[in-house]
Amino acid sequence: MTPPPSADPETPAVELRGITKRFPGTLANDAVDLTVRRGEIHALMGENGAGKSTLMSVLYGMERPDAGSVRIDGREVVFSDPGDAMAAGLGMVHQSFKLFDSLTVAENVVYAAEPRRFGLVDRGAARRRVRELAEEHGLAVDPDARVGDLPVGLRQRVEILKLLHRGARTLILDEPTAVLTPGEADALFAVLKSLAAQGRTVILVTHKLREVLEGSDNVTVLRDGHVVARLVTAETSAAEIAAAMTGRAVELDRVHSAGTPGDVILDVTDLATDGVRDVRLTVRAGEIVGIAGVAGNGQSELVEALAGLRPVTSGRVALLGDDITHASATERRAQGLAYVPEDRHAVGTAPAASVADNLAMGHHRTSLSARGLLPPAAVRGHARRLIERFGIKAVSPEVPGSSLSGGNLQKLLIGRELAHDAPLLLVEQPTRGVDIGAVQNIHDQLIAYRDAGHAVLLVSAELSEIRGLADRVLVMYEGRVTAAYEKAEADERTLGLAMAGGAGGSAPVTQVAPVEVGD
Amino acid sequence: MEQAPRTSPTTLIARALRSPVAFSVLAGVVIGALFLVGTGADPVAAYGAVLSGSLGADGIGPTLTTLTSVLGLALALAVPLRAGLINLGGDGQMVLGGMAAAVTGLYSPLPAPLTVVLALLAGMAAGAGYAALAALCENRFGVPLLVSSLLLSYPAASFASYLARYPLKEPGSSLPQTRQLPVGVALPAFGSSTVTVGLLLVVVAAATYWFTDRRTAFGYEMRMTGLNSRFAAYAGVERKGLTLRLLAVSGSLAGLVGAIGVLSFPYRFLDGSLTASGYTWTGLTAALLAGAAPVGTVLASFFFAVLQVGGLSMERTTEVPRELTQVLQAIVIVFLAARLRFPRFARRRDNKPFDNPVPQGPQSSQGELV
Repeated sequence: MTPPPSADPETPAVELRGITKRFPGTLANDAVDLTVRRGEIHALMGENGAGKSTLMSVLYGMERPDAGSVRIDGREVVFSDPGDAMAAGLGMVHQSFKLFDSLTVAENVVYAAEPRRFGLVDRGAARRRVRELAEEHGLAVDPDARVGDLPVGLRQRVEILKLLHRGARTLILDEPTAVLTPGEADALFAVLKSLAAQGRTVILVTHKLREVLEGSDNVTVLRDGHVVARLVTAETSAAEIAAAMTGRAVELDRVHSAGTPGDVILDVTDLATDGVRDVRLTVRAGEIVGIAGVAGNGQSELVEALAGLRPVTSGRVALLGDDITHASATERRAQGLAYVPEDRHAVGTAPAASVADNLAMGHHRTSLSARGLLPPAAVRGHARRLIERFGIKAVSPEVPGSSLSGGNLQKLLIGRELAHDAPLLLVEQPTRGVDIGAVQNIHDQLIAYRDAGHAVLLVSAELSEIRGLADRVLVMYEGRVTAAYEKAEADERTLGLAMAGGAGGSAPVTQVAPVEVGD
Repeated sequence: MEQAPRTSPTTLIARALRSPVAFSVLAGVVIGALFLVGTGADPVAAYGAVLSGSLGADGIGPTLTTLTSVLGLALALAVPLRAGLINLGGDGQMVLGGMAAAVTGLYSPLPAPLTVVLALLAGMAAGAGYAALAALCENRFGVPLLVSSLLLSYPAASFASYLARYPLKEPGSSLPQTRQLPVGVALPAFGSSTVTVGLLLVVVAAATYWFTDRRTAFGYEMRMTGLNSRFAAYAGVERKGLTLRLLAVSGSLAGLVGAIGVLSFPYRFLDGSLTASGYTWTGLTAALLAGAAPVGTVLASFFFAVLQVGGLSMERTTEVPRELTQVLQAIVIVFLAARLRFPRFARRRDNKPFDNPVPQGPQSSQGELV
């Protein structure tokens, strides 16, 4: 809340010099320099494992660097824990929010730094303080609302207010838009820009190119623990940043040509289940139907109901003309359905099991088994074939699934399901948390699968993914399909509006999306 | 057998040494030795007595008899544990199995050898049926298996106790026991020892478990359910059916142990004798120690059988109380629960601290404040 102590406006707000952090087997940061000027929005980019997380942990006092120095407002500091970092004016919004759902906004904001009166918490003062801060920074939120009742976008505001209340001059935001609608994201960036205009500094850790281009002043790109690029946002392009992140030219946001739809494979009429109602849709052979929507608007429930993991309360589901409304998951698979679930660690794989065992699931009663026997040699052979075919990077089929990177685990999961050659494929968030390089590979696989005459139902929160892959786009909002577009009509703005309930910019999302946990 | 092909023996040994099991057992032995030294006893002599008393010429018989029960019950608990299910009702299932075998043995009109087979089958069926009841409680009414299996155990034991004290009580005896089984209605023993064909049955059960676990589609579903039940359910493994089947198998093994107990010396059902030694809990410990892996369960059962029998012998020969072996068991379990292991040369750490800040939830912000 106070202006920076140092008088010289040219002194960087944050200056990391030669930060080296070694973990056994990896050099997470190798002599990394990062300079963040006061009053700028600085994006820190890089793929998973590039070292940005480690660098921020060092800055925030969660990790001690092996070498290098940290200067805040020109003064060299050594933080032994995040408390020290906060005292020096840093504040971090974690990807998974750290709020008490059952307390009010005001209580959360002042928590552990409460205004006191006669040794008791002064609730009136707390509320006033939140109102003041909210007004000052354009972060409108009701101080008396229970945090648990707020949509994700507002919870994030509470996190930011919390930092401002404690006097943070430099805000570090970790993947802040992962759970926001495009409208909410725009609102967030407006807030960040106004904070920067007041002389506060923002460090944005993200992998989303679009928002970096729109919302930041400077970009530092890390790869394999090194700084590989320092760019001025106004003078760079998405392609340049992506090339720096991956170390090679990447074709971004490729829009694939439309497929040639054939017979109806999946026919859903008036489907209802928990959180989903009145859903009608068809998916034809040779087409990808995309479902866009902010997380938590019924997409997961719909897909689970289609996969047989959630009971259907009313309506009808037909696969290849047969009624499967009340069929079990196994019966549906036998009928011709494969499914890539959203959560690859908790649902899509068993990370503790070997790669071979993970690849065998679903094939273990069909192609790999004879009279109930499941020969280990068949399981291994199957694993080797899929590892080769889908380019999964695994030391051997025997290593546990947890030893694979996020992208490779996703390749394993998608490869296993594609190998069923099922007429219908359900795919949820196929590239969430996956590196740019692997995204391209996964998209190509899905397009090839479609072109081979299969029907694909794709659920994704990434608009660019929906636009690039889908032949038709449906938008889900509050459990219903509220809009449908042909490929040509589905531009980002139209979809963004529909995802926010058609109301535009500010997002009236009433359903609370599950807080995403990073991977 | 459980390892990948083409691994050299050295890596196998290295891997075994790095496992928490090896660490726990070794730590137990070392700390046990410190206890012995502290009480003025000679650890070498004490451990020597444990080994010679359990594996020597006089000890091996009792050890194998104990192994029969411990391994049988360890398998009974390992089978559901492999899928993440815990059957705490081994006592009840075993006692019902024993009682069913006793009743069959006493009243079967068939010739003795067939009666023995029938009694074994009856024991297994009784245990299986009773365990299945616990599974149904979970499947139908949502009573957690842990609770349903444990609580059902007590009425089963009481029911068998009632039968042994009243309707089936041996006339004129002061003990709560049934009449002795007719001559010939007994499991054949090896030579003059107390080791019976029951040991073979249990070993065959272990081999079957190994085969099912490693080489069948059902075993695969069982393992995957244990490693991640949501993953298995997602792929269509039907959990309720799996629970029912695994519990039935588990109960039949417990029932088999009961039947073997009745069909061996003293050839009758004596109230409390099957459960007195607490083999169900030893079996559970062995299954947990091995993470329900088939080969590991056999080894762990053998380890505990040696400790139990050797402990008695140690007490006789060295004046060290046999409680030492229980201390040893306890230490092993504590270490195992802590999942300690020998460190690698370079310790690996989670190198993504920022993505997963160690303290989770809002509570942790306390630590971040000034």
